[in-house]
Amino acid sequence: MKPLRVAIGLSLAVLATLALGALHVPAPPDFFLLVIADMARGGAAVPAMLVGLPGGLLEDTLLAPGGLLGLHAFSKILVGYLLATLGARTVVEKPLAVGGLLAGSVLVEAATLTFLVWVLKGDFLPPAPWLLLARAATTGLFGGLLYAASRVPWRQRREARRRVRLT
Amino acid sequence: MAAPTLAERRPEIFLAVLLSLCLVALSLQVRRPGGRTVGEAWLLTAVSPFVDLVTGVRSGASDVATWAKSRRALRVENGALNAEVERLRRELLRLRDAEEDKGRLLELFGAQPSPPPGTLPARLIAVESSGPFHTALLDRGAGDGLRLDGVVLARGGLLGRVIALGPRTARVQLLSDKTAAVGVLLTHASRGGRAAVAKGDGKGSVSVEYVPTIEPVEPNDTLVSSGTDGLYPGGLPVGRITSVSRNKTLFWEIQVSAAADPHRETIVFVLPPVRKSDVTSGPSVGERR
Repeated sequence: MKPLRVAIGLSLAVLATLALGALHVPAPPDFFLLVIADMARGGAAVPAMLVGLPGGLLEDTLLAPGGLLGLHAFSKILVGYLLATLGARTVVEKPLAVGGLLAGSVLVEAATLTFLVWVLKGDFLPPAPWLLLARAATTGLFGGLLYAASRVPWRQRREARRRVRLT
Repeated sequence: MAAPTLAERRPEIFLAVLLSLCLVALSLQVRRPGGRTVGEAWLLTAVSPFVDLVTGVRSGASDVATWAKSRRALRVENGALNAEVERLRRELLRLRDAEEDKGRLLELFGAQPSPPPGTLPARLIAVESSGPFHTALLDRGAGDGLRLDGVVLARGGLLGRVIALGPRTARVQLLSDKTAAVGVLLTHASRGGRAAVAKGDGKGSVSVEYVPTIEPVEPNDTLVSSGTDGLYPGGLPVGRITSVSRNKTLFWEIQVSAAADPHRETIVFVLPPVRKSDVTSGPSVGERR
């Protein structure tokens, strides 16, 4: 189920990124990071990195066509590894903590990208702070909500409601 | 705590491999101002120590070869220089011996190499030739101490004698003058001397007359003044025989190249005239003191 889950997740991330891009949302969440974070849950570093590679390449293709292919792949692989390592050592259960972790991941990824561009091109180009914070906030918020939603026992509730109607 | 195994390090290895691949891909896309990609620049930077090493080794080998070659050349040159030094050392010893011999001989015969008293230097200011008569003009005259029949000597040998005197100038009769004559000795290294008379031919040269054909005479024999003519002291170089030919008479026809060329001389020495008492013994220049 995992590959299917990844494929669906990445497809949805592409669609969501395109949709929010078309709507000119100034600081959309990093949907690809959400897929990677989902894979890194439980400390599976290799799967997280393996998802980070295509996720980053897709992001490179979508966000900067004709730019440097592999830039986001690098940062996504690194973030995937960090999230998996963290997940293997700590237990993060609360949606707020998950949201904070995702927001921190956005900051780490931005720092990695800035460093990479500086190494490769010699230009130190950090992103605008407010935009970066907004992106971290939206990613954290959206990820936290998704995580909270995923923890709700929808099936049991639906079964309970059906039993109530039958009685 | 045991060190983690390779399997436990799998995620880190995977991470390193993936990040390296991304980095390589990125470095091959970014171009530097010179046109090279970052990857090429990194590769060159990584390879340059090896290139420098190879270049250094090659350069060192070349230097060693050059050193060996130049060393061989220097040894050959050193050998040649040593031989030259040895030759010069021998030459120096020979010259020292010759100098000592000369000093001993001069001491033995009481001769002095210095010119006789009364010798005056003069500048030869003109050479005149009028038909068979050949004369020269000196810038010193009677006022400077010159006297008639003073013997004029140039660097190469006998030039002539003073025949006319002014207060500040003097006229010299050159040996090539048609009316000039000087008693000479024909000298040869193996045969000794033979008295003869050298006369000017009026054409710029000197010839020797009255040498019988039974006398052995050869080109390159030298002529020195004999001192028997009452005009010139003995022992002065007169010239060298250039050609010897037989004519219809009983005498050789001998042409001489004069030892002193008036056209090439600027400074001459004028010796005092020969004393009549010296003529009989035929003294040399050194002995006339």
